[in-house]
Amino acid sequence: MKRALALVALAGLLAVAAVAGRANASPARAAGVNISGAGSTFVFPLVSAWIPQLGSAYGYNVSYSPVGSGAGIAAVTARTVDFGASDAPLSPDQFTACNGCIQLPWALSATSIAYNLPGLNCVVRLTGDVLARIYLGQITTWDDGAIKALNGSCNLPSTKITPVYRSDNSGTSYNFTDFLSAVNPSWKSKIGVGVNAQWPTGVGAKGSSGVAGVVTKTPGAICYVDVAYALNNKLRTAWIKNASGKYASPGLRGIAAAAATLPAKITGNGAISIVNPPKGNPLAYPISTFTYVIVPIKSSKAADLRKLIYWAITAGQQSGPKLRFQPLPKQVQAFDFKQIKLITG
Amino acid sequence: MTSTTPEELSAGGYASRRRMRPGDIVFQGVAFLAAAGVTVLLGLLAYKVVAQAWPAIRHFGVSFVWTNAWNPNNDVFGAASFIFGTVVTSFIALLIATPISIAIALFLTEIAPRRIAAPIATVVELLAAIPSVVLGLWGILVFGPWMNDHLEPGLKSAFGFLPILSGPTYQAGILPAALILTIMIVPIISALCRELFSRIPRDLTDGSLALGSTKWEAIRRVGLPYAAPGISAVMLLGLGRAFGEAIAVAQVIGGQVAISRSLFHPGDTLGARIALQYQGATTGLETNSLLYLGAILMVISLVTNVAAQGIVSRFEKARRLH
Repeated sequence: MKRALALVALAGLLAVAAVAGRANASPARAAGVNISGAGSTFVFPLVSAWIPQLGSAYGYNVSYSPVGSGAGIAAVTARTVDFGASDAPLSPDQFTACNGCIQLPWALSATSIAYNLPGLNCVVRLTGDVLARIYLGQITTWDDGAIKALNGSCNLPSTKITPVYRSDNSGTSYNFTDFLSAVNPSWKSKIGVGVNAQWPTGVGAKGSSGVAGVVTKTPGAICYVDVAYALNNKLRTAWIKNASGKYASPGLRGIAAAAATLPAKITGNGAISIVNPPKGNPLAYPISTFTYVIVPIKSSKAADLRKLIYWAITAGQQSGPKLRFQPLPKQVQAFDFKQIKLITG
Repeated sequence: MTSTTPEELSAGGYASRRRMRPGDIVFQGVAFLAAAGVTVLLGLLAYKVVAQAWPAIRHFGVSFVWTNAWNPNNDVFGAASFIFGTVVTSFIALLIATPISIAIALFLTEIAPRRIAAPIATVVELLAAIPSVVLGLWGILVFGPWMNDHLEPGLKSAFGFLPILSGPTYQAGILPAALILTIMIVPIISALCRELFSRIPRDLTDGSLALGSTKWEAIRRVGLPYAAPGISAVMLLGLGRAFGEAIAVAQVIGGQVAISRSLFHPGDTLGARIALQYQGATTGLETNSLLYLGAILMVISLVTNVAAQGIVSRFEKARRLH
């Protein structure tokens, strides 16, 4: 018994020594400011690319937990992190609860519609209205007349459609329901727009990974998931018809074209919706979205947060395209520059 | 065992006969603080939950309990489908887990030689040590797809005439959630049952065997009736555990606001809904309604516990009369 105890103690000592050794080995930074963030999984690949660059540019030690938009809002509201990230703009109640927070659009991407139809060798084309009717439970098989009419040469199977949605609160759900509400009046009145909904049919799963898990294991399943996730996990994504009557893929060109429809000046609290952009943009992908950083205007790290966000919306945007994030349009940047000034100590 | 009688062991037995020593005073104080602390904590917790739920309780009233809706975008909330999901998944889990657990416990105490029993008991108890989130992940990746591809179609072709086993199958739903809960409560029920069975007086079963009954008859006629009050209390403990589980269920139940006849259909439970939708709830009323769900869950658990105590005391009374 005594020997065992001695061994455990020895192992503990060695572990402590090893950790201490490692801490000494890492180079000491002069301005080692720790900045913590949490939230959106959607923007996580981009923030991950920013972290080392911010480290070498300003000596910031940024940590980011991809816990989901809802949890990110909760974290910044409780001030347990320095900034939150969400793909859905804050609701009025959330603004009140957050007590002096501002939101700044800091990245631009899209939500893709992924499906699992094994053996199909053509890309499925869908309209927003058909998509809404699938999620309302009005279209239940892949060879339904409404889908066939959009996919002339495609030999669609008679497989049952299983719509899959996010069961946790998610900014991706916000983007998706925002689009469906814009194109289908019955969706708008019955279900509405939000980070969650009372889904009339289908099956829910937690997180992008949960949704993708169900879709890859269920033939006939369809889901919505952010573009980067769909590409990284090799999910097949549909082309969606835009207001100009053209089918658009969720690529950078489609996202850029959707953002080109923004007004020349952004006002208000920063919430911007670019779903279903108007006619005249044949390339526009209709389920594009901004994603937001949420910061308290009173912060002990105000100067550092200002620098961090300024860098993210300027130099940081260059890391975007590789990861399917389209750089921010000029007028959004201009809005953010004004907002940044509100952050004071 | 010494010849101490229960009276001597009961509270105050030693203290009244001996002079109080400083050590005893400290010990009593610490023990009292621990007991009082937990009671106060529970009281504060219940108060806080009800206080936070209060706006929703005032807004929806009692009809919240039987309203089947959860639309955060129109601020319409009700608990019916979640209460249904909680009760149905937990009772199915209990129904399947109880016979399995009793069989495991009997095997370990009555049948298996000690050399085999000890490692099996450890393995069953290890099952309880698997974090529920890991079990839920396994549910998503392995168990759910397997159910959708094999078990549910099999059940459907054999018992499809029953409404509860008909309709389309999904990877996530009431039945997968109930079976995950079963896996979670089997270790608890079987460990406690094993404890109960090992306390059945040898004289009783040996007497029965001596009178010519088989081993099974001795267990059924003598052992099980002796342990019955304990088993029912243990079952209710397991039920309480199943009611409260949130994460693993949230991962495999499919999160849908629905009361379906089919066990294959996705649904939701009180715990799972709170776990997934509390963070990032968009309106104040939604947050309050989620806490209302929490209050309902607390009431259900309280009723289960009171029922457990009631059953045990009735059994005890009946046994004394015999």
